[in-house]
Amino acid sequence: MRVFWTLLAIAGAALLQTALGRFSGRVAYTFDPFLLVALYCALTWGETHGMLTGAVAGWVQDVLYGGQVAGLSGLTKLVLGFIVGLAGTRFLLVGPAPQILVVFAATVIDGLVLQSLASVFSIRTDELSAGGLAIRGGVNALVGVVLFGVVDRYVGRDRHP
Amino acid sequence: MEERRGTLLLIGLVLLHLVAISHQVDRGGVSLLEKLIFGALAPVQNAVAGGLRGVRGGWRGYVDLRGVRTENASLRERNRQLEVALQESQYLAAEAQRLRRIVGLQEQLAMETIVAQVVAREGVPWFHTFTINRGKDDGVTLDAPVLAPTGVVGRVIAVVAHAAKVQLLLDRQAGVMVQLQTTGATGMTEGQVGLADSGSRDLLLKYVVSLAEVKPGDVVVTAGLDQIYPKGLMVGRVSSVGAGDGLFKQIHVTPSVQFDQVEEVLVVKSKPPDLDFSHAETVTPARRGEEGTTR
Repeated sequence: MRVFWTLLAIAGAALLQTALGRFSGRVAYTFDPFLLVALYCALTWGETHGMLTGAVAGWVQDVLYGGQVAGLSGLTKLVLGFIVGLAGTRFLLVGPAPQILVVFAATVIDGLVLQSLASVFSIRTDELSAGGLAIRGGVNALVGVVLFGVVDRYVGRDRHP
Repeated sequence: MEERRGTLLLIGLVLLHLVAISHQVDRGGVSLLEKLIFGALAPVQNAVAGGLRGVRGGWRGYVDLRGVRTENASLRERNRQLEVALQESQYLAAEAQRLRRIVGLQEQLAMETIVAQVVAREGVPWFHTFTINRGKDDGVTLDAPVLAPTGVVGRVIAVVAHAAKVQLLLDRQAGVMVQLQTTGATGMTEGQVGLADSGSRDLLLKYVVSLAEVKPGDVVVTAGLDQIYPKGLMVGRVSSVGAGDGLFKQIHVTPSVQFDQVEEVLVVKSKPPDLDFSHAETVTPARRGEEGTTR
């Protein structure tokens, strides 16, 4: 059942990104719904589910919005899903404050790792400034924590096995 | 035990990703997996875009209707009807104007083209791409130039049955061989100037020799030397000229296309005979980048 919900969430992220992009291309600079799905799954169901969700969400993002070479977001979100999932089993990452910190840090790391990976593979990408990364992290953290709270409250969560 | 299994799975998946990425970088083109995911999700994007167009039209009408409430009560109902009709007319007129410009351009071009609608745009800050609602079944091919009434938009980098992904000129991987209309000096535009969130959407024009005469306002058009874009299409205007590094000038170009506002585009289906390279050796996009022509 959790696989179904996860795939539904990834599809929802794709639809949300498409819809937001229709109104303003700038939304992409400050919001990453695919990362939020990966982080939520990692925090809720642990590292294995987190990394698999991250890989699938990243690939969908790569294919729909990436450049000529797909897999960069897939790899970045795979690793982030694992790390956050592992952290979720080691530490008590429930409630808004720790989650804001986790989502903020994960968003910034996601950007930095993706830019570095692209450079390793000689793929030229645009880069965000430090301020841009911080804004992206902040917006993602705030929106993420609200969404996590809503999902927990209305959909319920089936915590770590 | 389970943790060890998770770590092994992580290592395996990371390696798999590295191989998949390296494979694409080495060979260029679109992978089967990418085709499958893009093919499955592009129609959904198309449907969302269509739905949103309808909702936006309805919403505009609704917002205007709320303003009419403050007007004279006896005319309120009549005003509502007129306002809705006017909104619809304006929306249709704007759409008709856009389509007229597209059709006008289509008639001017000596190439077979097809009109496509933009269904999704720029979803991540690192790359600049559009998804359009025309694909292989409509005659769209890989590397096909994509144009707007005001100039060049980009080229097709992935195509499935009923959708295609377009790489915009703003993308760092995109390059177009161009020339200055006034002097004929050639160079290559390459992505946008500055960081993604800098607010600038100017293109960087490289490899124009220091001796060339260039001034702000000069028109930049495609040179037809990159085996992708036909010659003479508008790219933009020079916005600033700097001394550069000695050999070449440092030039910024403001694109003639406002990428945020593009709704319909023309995709070139067949290039003019002088640009038909179908008999030439196939050069993949990634290789082409290495060879310094167009990425």
